[in-house]
Amino acid sequence: MRLNKQILILFFGLYYGLLFGQECIINITGSVVDLGTGKGLGLVHVHVQELELEQISDSTGKFVFRGVCPGKYHFSFSHIGCESYDLFLVIDQDTMIEVQMDHSFHVSKGVAVKGKHTNHSIQRVELIGEKAIEENPNANLGSMIEGVTGVSTLKNGNAIAKPVVHGLYGNRITILNHGIAQAGQQWGNDHSPEIDPQSANRISVIKGVSALQYPGSNLGSVILIQSKKIVPEPHLHGKVGYFFESNGLSNGTHLQLQKGAPFLSWRLNISAKQSGDRKTPDYFLTNTGQKELNASLQLEKRWSQRSFGEFYISSYNTELGVLRGSHIGNLTDLNEAFDRTIPFFTQNEFSYTIASPKQVVHHHLLKVHQKFYITDSLSLDLTYAAQLNNRKEFDVRRGGRSDLPALSLRQLNQYAAAQIEKELKADWKLIGGIQFNYIDNTNNAETGIIPLIPDYISFKNSAYFLVKKKRKRSLLEMGARYDHVQQNVATISQTLPREILRYANQFHNWSSSLDWSLPLGAHKELVSNIGLAMRNPAINELYSGGLHQGVSGIELGNPDLKSERSVKGTVALNGDIREKWFFELLGYYQQIGNYFYLQPQNQFQLTIRGAFPVFKYEQTDAQLYGADGSILRQISTSWSAKFKYSYLRGDDLSNKTPLIFMPSNNAGLDLVYELPKHIEIGKSELENTAISVTNRYVFKQSHLNIDQDFIAAPDAYFLLGLKASTNAQWSKSRLHFFVKVSNALNTNYRDYLNRLRYFADDLGMNITIGGNLKF
Amino acid sequence: MTTKLKNTLLILCLGVTLFGCEKKPDDPVIPNEEEVITTLILTLTLSGGGVERVFSFTDLDGDGGNNPVITIDTLAANTTYSGTLVLLNQQKSPEEDITEEVKEESAEHQFFYEVNASNVTVSYRDKDTNGRPLGVSTEFVTGASESGSLKITLRHEPNKSAAGVDAGQIQNAGGETDIEVSFNLEVK
Repeated sequence: MRLNKQILILFFGLYYGLLFGQECIINITGSVVDLGTGKGLGLVHVHVQELELEQISDSTGKFVFRGVCPGKYHFSFSHIGCESYDLFLVIDQDTMIEVQMDHSFHVSKGVAVKGKHTNHSIQRVELIGEKAIEENPNANLGSMIEGVTGVSTLKNGNAIAKPVVHGLYGNRITILNHGIAQAGQQWGNDHSPEIDPQSANRISVIKGVSALQYPGSNLGSVILIQSKKIVPEPHLHGKVGYFFESNGLSNGTHLQLQKGAPFLSWRLNISAKQSGDRKTPDYFLTNTGQKELNASLQLEKRWSQRSFGEFYISSYNTELGVLRGSHIGNLTDLNEAFDRTIPFFTQNEFSYTIASPKQVVHHHLLKVHQKFYITDSLSLDLTYAAQLNNRKEFDVRRGGRSDLPALSLRQLNQYAAAQIEKELKADWKLIGGIQFNYIDNTNNAETGIIPLIPDYISFKNSAYFLVKKKRKRSLLEMGARYDHVQQNVATISQTLPREILRYANQFHNWSSSLDWSLPLGAHKELVSNIGLAMRNPAINELYSGGLHQGVSGIELGNPDLKSERSVKGTVALNGDIREKWFFELLGYYQQIGNYFYLQPQNQFQLTIRGAFPVFKYEQTDAQLYGADGSILRQISTSWSAKFKYSYLRGDDLSNKTPLIFMPSNNAGLDLVYELPKHIEIGKSELENTAISVTNRYVFKQSHLNIDQDFIAAPDAYFLLGLKASTNAQWSKSRLHFFVKVSNALNTNYRDYLNRLRYFADDLGMNITIGGNLKF
Repeated sequence: MTTKLKNTLLILCLGVTLFGCEKKPDDPVIPNEEEVITTLILTLTLSGGGVERVFSFTDLDGDGGNNPVITIDTLAANTTYSGTLVLLNQQKSPEEDITEEVKEESAEHQFFYEVNASNVTVSYRDKDTNGRPLGVSTEFVTGASESGSLKITLRHEPNKSAAGVDAGQIQNAGGETDIEVSFNLEVK
């Protein structure tokens, strides 16, 4: 559940209030309204810190505090299964507070489908709110959003996870961190997005087509990592969290501090975590530890009524080990690894040590954003951002060279954008903008290895416009976008003598989209969109060359690639039946012409390390289609059950073969029991206590030919998860405590999208205990 | 927004664009490929002297690029040879002897000789720092005339204490393959 920012505060009896001001006769009345149904929302805990009083809203959403003295008060609103929301008010008269809450009586908790209420297009947006982020402090971005239907993760062990949405990942989807397209190395399957989810208050997945105003690829979905605006309240607030994980003996902590002030509002986040070797049900995964240290600072400044500035800086730093037994020299090693039940190099003892193979990654982001309201209906946004990415990957090497990175890349990205928004009469809205993106990607020469991808400088100049129209409850949106891409590349030849070969490429990408949403009666809504998009080949697809040990193959780029052309359509139906059954159904179809993929060649390249298969980037026509569905049944006020299912199929139309790396179909059933009453422990009360059971079944990826992989896809598997969470409210602080168990049955399984399936089982049972203290 | 502001923005952007697109990456530093093994040479000599038998595998440009050059030789029947293996990086001038590097880390390396011929046997004639075989020096004993093949494998960080590894059986050795080359073997 998410509290809408729109809070209506109505003041009554202003002059009476002044007259009787110093007497404690003020009444604060209020009501909480469910934004989804327009009805009052009961069982909301309204806590007033200074009064040390708490009221619970009645079934019509009303609450009242009587006989309150004038003063400054911190209110906190909380409801089961949702984030608490804080409000600071100066009370000197009878006050009525109306809080609109976007309650979870959509299917998934925190789903919002709003055209005008958010800045997004009319697309299916799934939200992961602050509570879910807090309850997953051990998760990286990929694992965090894995629970969203239609989203999977492409992994290389537990610590490296790339999100896959509707079958697309890497360069084909866009990840926006605080409004800025994530740069860094996105081309490899073992490049995890360099973002700390704990720095965010919410993560949204837009599962539609080309969200045109965002830079990055417009081919598919967009993942947004956002922070809430800093609440304008002049006291220091924050939260401090800690977690422990049984699998990997991980410890992590997170501190957030914030203060809203007229001069400058600020929010600081610091998080740190360390884990050691993870464990399957039977053995340790040697060298799979991870260390992470992240920080971010957000500043907000209201220069005037019409001018608002924002500054954001973040630093992400990690060192992560890759399973020692997954580092192989050639195909013989790989075939031997398939036959083993326990990987080579497996130690019998747990360790926090991180040795080669490992990755050391630093990613820093700086963003400055300024918004001007030129008139009430016209606004201008100016944004500048810079990102610096340093990635070093270490292999097991001979002659003491394991301390030298085998891959060492430094990328500088600069971005500048201007956007105008104009509201016209009759609910028309126009948005237009221009964007410039600069990437300078350099291989550091320290490796002693010819780099897999070359040095390059790339420029992208873009312009777009969107038209939005609202008519009653229907929304219509259409737009177009143009990108001009220039790539200046300097490669090193594969043959001797080593020469520097230079290439200059230009691409013109056109994208457009049409979105609309129609209400079907009071309880249902049809949302649909269609988008056309182009994506130019990325540097690795054009020029990668050499042995990619991770895939035991020689990967060759193809300088002749033409841009991909995609058309994608989605239709979603969502709503409820008698407010007991809630459903969201989404179907999609995408055809991508000139789809880039790695085609195994009919030859083996003989090297001194043996013969390797050769994979070359080629183009084909591909189609992806699927459906995501979820149904929630509110059985009683305490019990709810949610069923979800994702289906996806990808085909290479030209070669009449399945597409590889497509997520398996999966189904889930979540049961949630929310305690209607408080639990009293001494003087404290535990409230908003909930217990849930999650069941997840992942089907075998059977849509694959035998010759498309070294070994057959792993079998289907079932995972059971348990979770309990509760809250305790004290006068000035609030504790949120949770325990969860993943893979509770300690099942042995392997997942098709995890490269480590070639070598080892996936993680066994993991118990996480954590808590957050808000103050 | 005023036209003036719009124009200013447009010019600013064009400026950035025109100025920017000219920029090209600096010449990349061609890495010093110290670790590369371009060449493996197996030399078999008779204890009493005589013509050397040489097997070599040479891939000067490393993985990818041009195909390697392989030369083979014939062995005499019913003969005992002493074998010496040399690894070179011939990209360097003068060429670098990688065998030394392997010998320095002898405990972490082992060569395996898999013979697919019924009458040829290969045995180790050297030891690492732990008294286990390394495989730079070997002894080849041939029997009756036949033809077959020889596969030489260098494993990095094998489990040298696993069963049969001492005797040159690769099956339980594990580790990572640094070299794997095959030669046709002719015994006359």
